Amino acid sequence: MAKTELSRKTKTEIKASSSLKGTLASVFLLGFFLIITWVGVYLLFISRF
Amino acid sequence: MFNPSAKLKVDPRDAKLAMAHFFVAFTALAIGGLAGLLQTLVRSGKFELPAGIGYYQILTVHGVVLGLVLTTFFIMGFQLAATSKTSGTFTNKQRITGWIGFWLMTAGTVLAAVMILLNEATVLYTFYAPLQAHALYYIGLTLVIVGSWIDGAAIIMKYAEWRRKNPGQPSPLLTFMSLVNTMMWIVATIGVASTVLFQLLPWSLGFVETVNIGVSRTLFWYFGHPLVYFWLLPAYMAWYVVIPKVIGGKIFSDSLARLSFILFLLFSIPVGFHHQLMEPGIDPAWKFLQVILTFLVVIPSLMTAFSLFATFENFGRSKGATGLFGWVKKLPWGDARFVVPFIGMVAFIPAGAGGIVNASHQMNQVVHNTIWVTGHFHLTVATSVVLTFFGVSYWLIPHLTGRTLTKAMNKLGIIQAVIWSIGMTFMSGAMHAVGLLGAPRRSSYSEYGGAPQAAEWIPYQVAQAIGGSILFIGIILMIYIFINLAFFAPKGEQEFPVGEAADEAEKAPMVFENWKLWLGITVVLILFAYTIPFIDLIQNAPPGAKGYKLW
Repeated sequence: MAKTELSRKTKTEIKASSSLKGTLASVFLLGFFLIITWVGVYLLFISRF
Repeated sequence: MFNPSAKLKVDPRDAKLAMAHFFVAFTALAIGGLAGLLQTLVRSGKFELPAGIGYYQILTVHGVVLGLVLTTFFIMGFQLAATSKTSGTFTNKQRITGWIGFWLMTAGTVLAAVMILLNEATVLYTFYAPLQAHALYYIGLTLVIVGSWIDGAAIIMKYAEWRRKNPGQPSPLLTFMSLVNTMMWIVATIGVASTVLFQLLPWSLGFVETVNIGVSRTLFWYFGHPLVYFWLLPAYMAWYVVIPKVIGGKIFSDSLARLSFILFLLFSIPVGFHHQLMEPGIDPAWKFLQVILTFLVVIPSLMTAFSLFATFENFGRSKGATGLFGWVKKLPWGDARFVVPFIGMVAFIPAGAGGIVNASHQMNQVVHNTIWVTGHFHLTVATSVVLTFFGVSYWLIPHLTGRTLTKAMNKLGIIQAVIWSIGMTFMSGAMHAVGLLGAPRRSSYSEYGGAPQAAEWIPYQVAQAIGGSILFIGIILMIYIFINLAFFAPKGEQEFPVGEAADEAEKAPMVFENWKLWLGITVVLILFAYTIPFIDLIQNAPPGAKGYKLW
């Protein structure tokens, strides 16, 4: 009896864990934006100096 | 974690102290905002100031009143309220300390403002030597800084008291953050206080004939960069701790938030040379070292971005959101307390990207002293920080005055932020673009003797005036909302939202509260980054400069 309750509890905990896929995608987009901005001004720098 | 000191409501006596700060802050917003509008109009070339008022006088008003007064008063008020709420009501001694700090800051502000209005201190907010202001202006600024130290002492005293009463416990997160920002401010302002007291004041009083420009600028920027983090960290306090509660979610990680604040304490200060990358007299190797340290201070901001995305996604998924970005739709888009700071967060993405460009050593040549830089800090402080402060005001002002944010004011708050975003897109966007074409910052309208390059800049300057005018409408709306929330909104209870960590069992490592360690590393980094170049600046100095009054 006690055993069954224990296993049921474990199941719920696994369900509760949530995904951070969107966060991963968001930080990548943010990183790309930083890189694109930087490279853009870098090219301007190279062409001028 | 249960915190027995946390109060449901800020004590009315502490609320009064915080509100005193906000009255000065919002008065500054009105005056500084008007000055800003006038500047953009003058620079469009379509408008001239009446009665012989100088452009540079208005520019000084704008910079000092918004960059130094609005920010410092709002931040001190917010931090005092946050400390009182999370660590318990101030003792009488602590509160009196706060009041002394407030009155000193106010007296200093009035003195500096009077000298600017009398046209005796048209030296812009950076007060670079050899521009020489009236001595009373420097005394006024000194009072503002000393006042802010005393104001900050109230927070330090409260923190020490909390730690004494709760041995072995990490301090409440908002108190911890207020304390870090206060300590960073004290360490940083030693630089500006030194140049004002030991260089500029004796020089303006005529005790010494000349001043070492390189040293004064270095001391200014030793303070000037942590100054921008002093503006930013209270916004991060709201983003990390308040916003999760407002949306109904949890703080992603209490320890991550503390770590990022400690990193700001360590890396905000030894980076001032990235404002002096084009200056002679500093060895490029030392500039490069400070460039590296500047890039280290990007890390806590990126940690903050990750943490916020994660808070939003966890909340959205707990409400049943699916797909990669489905959680975005679950956020409370009708709540000004969330939407207004959220716009600030979004603005920090281009703001941060521009900052990385500015700090990239040789690349600084592309943007140095152009109006790109003005565009940059109007995204950081005048959008990310200020919109977050407005978002905080929408619940903090009624909380302190015993009123409520009505539906109408909530809606007006969102409209205000949308107007601000539109105005800033025009103004800051045009500044960034024309800055890349070489248009200078600071300077008044000029056709530069009919130079074709300068003629290219004029359409962008008109766009800046359009943006500036839209922003001024935003300022009028904000003042209206502030007055409503302070005096006229219906009586009631407005919540002071303080978030809880997602993992309640998580106890922040006590090493974060070891100030001997963190202040020790801070001092070591500062000495490492500054000692040798500072000796160079003194030993190999050119002849000193006498003072100029060019207005």
